[in-house]
Amino acid sequence: MTAKKKILLIDDDKDFLMATKLILEKGGYEVFLAEDGKTGVEMWKSVAPDLAMIDMMMETWGEGFAVLSKIRATDMGKDTPLFLLSAVDLQGPYNSFEPPPEFPKVNAVLQKPVKAEDLLRRIAQELDGKKMS
Amino acid sequence: MMQKRPPLILIIDDEESIRDGCRQSLEKSGYSVLDAAEGGEGIQIAREAKPDIALIDLKMPGISGMEIIEILSRDLPDLVLIMITGYATIVSAVEAIQKGTYDYLPKPFSPDQLRTVVRRAIEHRSLKIETRCLREEKERMEKSFITFVSHEMRSPLVVIRQYIEALKAIAGDRFDKEAEEIMERCRCRVQGLETMIEHWLDISKLGEGAFVGKKRLDLLQTIRRSSEEMAPLCKANGLVLETDLPEKLPEILGDAESLLRVFTNIIGNATKYTPENGRISISAKSDDYHVTVRISDTGAGIPADKLPFIFEPFYRVRGKEERQRGSGLGLTFCKRIMELHGGEINASSVEGQGSTFLLKFPTQT
Repeated sequence: MTAKKKILLIDDDKDFLMATKLILEKGGYEVFLAEDGKTGVEMWKSVAPDLAMIDMMMETWGEGFAVLSKIRATDMGKDTPLFLLSAVDLQGPYNSFEPPPEFPKVNAVLQKPVKAEDLLRRIAQELDGKKMS
Repeated sequence: MMQKRPPLILIIDDEESIRDGCRQSLEKSGYSVLDAAEGGEGIQIAREAKPDIALIDLKMPGISGMEIIEILSRDLPDLVLIMITGYATIVSAVEAIQKGTYDYLPKPFSPDQLRTVVRRAIEHRSLKIETRCLREEKERMEKSFITFVSHEMRSPLVVIRQYIEALKAIAGDRFDKEAEEIMERCRCRVQGLETMIEHWLDISKLGEGAFVGKKRLDLLQTIRRSSEEMAPLCKANGLVLETDLPEKLPEILGDAESLLRVFTNIIGNATKYTPENGRISISAKSDDYHVTVRISDTGAGIPADKLPFIFEPFYRVRGKEERQRGSGLGLTFCKRIMELHGGEINASSVEGQGSTFLLKFPTQT
């Protein structure tokens, strides 16, 4: 039997964390929640998750990016899949976000709300083929 | 905030007797007074002391009164200017007022006349300042309201939909058909509310002038993109989407993304009101001055008495044929975008036969 893979969710909306946790647990993952960026980075270090999902817009616009950069800068953050979550309509002409070229790698930008099957599929894609812990 | 200090009045006049006379009668009424004998000095004092009112003689050696008025009304928008003139002609009065003077005093004038004009000018000034403060306040509130709506109102809706997803994920296999349908309806309505907020935000942002810059563009590309984007929806609703486009269209000045949304919006509307096996057609033509895009459908049509209101915010033509409720803001958005392009949007319709939207753009020559 293999241990459950660990996913860290960082979002300042408790309910969003709760709802997404239910989906991820249904998908067979162990889920860790952080309600702000600082806690998120600390949990990243203590939990060492297999994947992390970070909300773009927490307290301030850009906090999500700062958290992502900090996580990528850690030793184990180099290759771990990281997802950004956004409530902004990325299709719209006024809100389109394009990360600057030097921005740390983001494995996926998911728009909130995320469909359960899409979410689980994207995560499986990222985690498949990786070494089992 | 009301000022506690007495109003400060600056007199710029080359005649000493006028300066002294004005100073005496104004100080007697409780005003503070500064004076200057010529324009350069007067402008400097005005910039430093920021008086409430300036009385300016029109005819002086050196810088003319008219020039002083021009400079001061540009530099100090809150300063109320009164001109003093010995030759009060209509022409000079009109010119001075066009340049930003509030009132004028024809020479010779009595202390009473002076005080009346000054009192009025001070009232005018406080109204002017109050108006500006209110306008700034309103702009600030509008801005923060938009931010409020976009974050605080959308987030709960996003969360509700995420919970619906979670519920389906953890208990979906235990739902019977009816429960599943209820969930789907909830999801649809929440999503509709989100769309409405999004459209409303789009329109508010346009009002703020946050409009993406216009570039030269070929509408043919935008039309093709919109029809590609909408083809799957048309197909799903059993509708034919056809385009009849010329080889070339003159360029227009516009924002491709906004226009794409205009087209997809109108095509989207057509899909809502056109029954299965219907047809949606897009065509375009041009003359020397305009490019006209025509989007028509074979749907339910719009009753003649409702046609004049369809571009109004939150107006909806309700019909049995309607597949899905709209936000009531889609066409308002389209109209605003067309106006920002210097264009027009018009609709015509025959009930039971279909509707046609004509979008007319000025060409870029």
